[in-house]
Amino acid sequence: MAETPSSKLALQFCGLQLDSPIVLLSGCVGFGEEYTRIEGFSNRDAGAVCLKGTTLNPRLGNAPHRVAETPMGMLNSIGLQNPGARHVVDKILPHLDFSETRFIANVSGSTIEEYEEVTRIFDDSPIDAIEINISCPNVKEGGVVFGNDPAMSARVVAACRRATQKPLIAKLSPNQTDIAENARRCIDAGTDAFAVINTLMGMAVDIQQRRPVIGNNQGGLSGPAIKPIALLKVHQVYQVCKNHQIPIIGQGGIVTAQDALEFIIAGASTVGIGTALFYDPLICPKINQGIVQYLDQHGLACVNDLVGTLQVNR
Amino acid sequence: MKHPDTRDSLVVEAAQIISHEACAGAQYILRVHAPRSAARAQPGNFAHVQCHPMLPMRRPISIMRVDAEQGWVEFLYKAVGEGTRLLAQRQVPESISIIAPVGNQFMVAEGPGRPLLIGGGVGMPPMVFLAQRLRQRKALQPFVVLGSEVPFPFVAIPSRIMVPGVPSDVIAAMPLLDDWGIASRLASQQDYAGVYRGYVTDLARQYVQSLSATQRAQVTVYACGPHAMLAAVAALAREFNLPCQVSLEEYMACAVGGCAGCVVPVTLPEGKAMKRVCVDGPVFDAGQVFS
Repeated sequence: MAETPSSKLALQFCGLQLDSPIVLLSGCVGFGEEYTRIEGFSNRDAGAVCLKGTTLNPRLGNAPHRVAETPMGMLNSIGLQNPGARHVVDKILPHLDFSETRFIANVSGSTIEEYEEVTRIFDDSPIDAIEINISCPNVKEGGVVFGNDPAMSARVVAACRRATQKPLIAKLSPNQTDIAENARRCIDAGTDAFAVINTLMGMAVDIQQRRPVIGNNQGGLSGPAIKPIALLKVHQVYQVCKNHQIPIIGQGGIVTAQDALEFIIAGASTVGIGTALFYDPLICPKINQGIVQYLDQHGLACVNDLVGTLQVNR
Repeated sequence: MKHPDTRDSLVVEAAQIISHEACAGAQYILRVHAPRSAARAQPGNFAHVQCHPMLPMRRPISIMRVDAEQGWVEFLYKAVGEGTRLLAQRQVPESISIIAPVGNQFMVAEGPGRPLLIGGGVGMPPMVFLAQRLRQRKALQPFVVLGSEVPFPFVAIPSRIMVPGVPSDVIAAMPLLDDWGIASRLASQQDYAGVYRGYVTDLARQYVQSLSATQRAQVTVYACGPHAMLAAVAALAREFNLPCQVSLEEYMACAVGGCAGCVVPVTLPEGKAMKRVCVDGPVFDAGQVFS
């Protein structure tokens, strides 16, 4: 059994006790068990694991190809393939080992009512928290269509708030003009935390076929290529959040402990790891160790002492 | 809590390159020291290879052979994109990170049988690996048909093993398979000596047609290759009512079933579904994929 990460990494995140600031990101780790196929991988190395985006009814998702490598990143367009919320709660959650980590559901929908209904289904389950996916770029309805409009984002958050008292995390899109305004509206609507950011919309072209590589024509860009954008968005959202004690999962291109530390300094309380797992499935303990090493070197007692300590140039 | 049996089924291994041979047609035979992967690998499995440390995505590459005792795994791949071109530059004694052995395996029924193995291009390796295992099964009479539109990545030899239904001038075989006592023949649209000029499915058809009804009932088809070839193989199998397993490939990110990036559409009794090539496959019943 894997060792529990250093106690220096432990933190409170919107009421959840996490053993590490690492959050494994929705869409990268299936429904929580998939990466445990790999010897040496342990969910215990992550503070929380976000399950695959879930809708009310099962979805087949988009046509292949669904992934493509791009410079220092990748495009994906999965299209929320999932077996439906009822199946996830009844058939999958009972098999997850909640002693290993915190599990976060990721809810999605084509209508506000669907978001609320899916949230209600997860409310009556052992799930630890619920992430609201108002930023999926790969579906024709819902997702980023809601997330790019602060008023609609707020309505989705308010609807989910009505359905649960569990911690709610609004996952914000970078594909919008004013992410800070969106954050303000989501806080007013009752979100407990933010995930910043989801993928950026992008395209890859096959010049032989003269067609988009991705079956859905466009996809969401992730990986190191988007890290500077994600850092800025975290910094911007943190300016809104810091007076409300609303924590942020900073995510977008984190591969090393240094990347993670940059996000924490910019205002993230926790850091999301996604695409980097594809590169190195055993990356979590390395990032944990790197963070502890930095805390020791700088005489810091815990991660929280580092959050938002960025000193911007005047 | 009881955890699923799938836990710890894959290893991440720093695989040291033992040999890396360039062949015609941008094909490469890569042998790496990877004892944990070698000990676990089964025909059909592949490795998810970090072709270069600067690339964000790994590449799924079929396993061609393993030697569990000596601890090596061998691949045949073609440099077709940035990843495999960078892989081609890796040299002895560098190490490359692999996740292995990924995926399900070909299922071979107990008892006597006539496995018909059809591999095209970089679909040849899984057929060689399957043949390596089948040679231990004395009750089986396998026949391997390999096709390539670039020069074969080995020097063909005249086969010592007769095969029914095969034209008498089609004698070229893969030496490794001949050494193992397994019949093989080669097919290509190109004009190579002793090689059947045509599609692998045309040669396979002549073999199947030459069999008696009793013999034909013992045939199971195993295939890996380009999509169009697999569609033709599936059609052949359907025509003769032969069970058929095909190994598929698709762009792949995680290789553990986590991202659903590598799916293929399949038709199941309960309806259409999307199956992950990495963990639900890469081996599928041909009828599910080509219906």
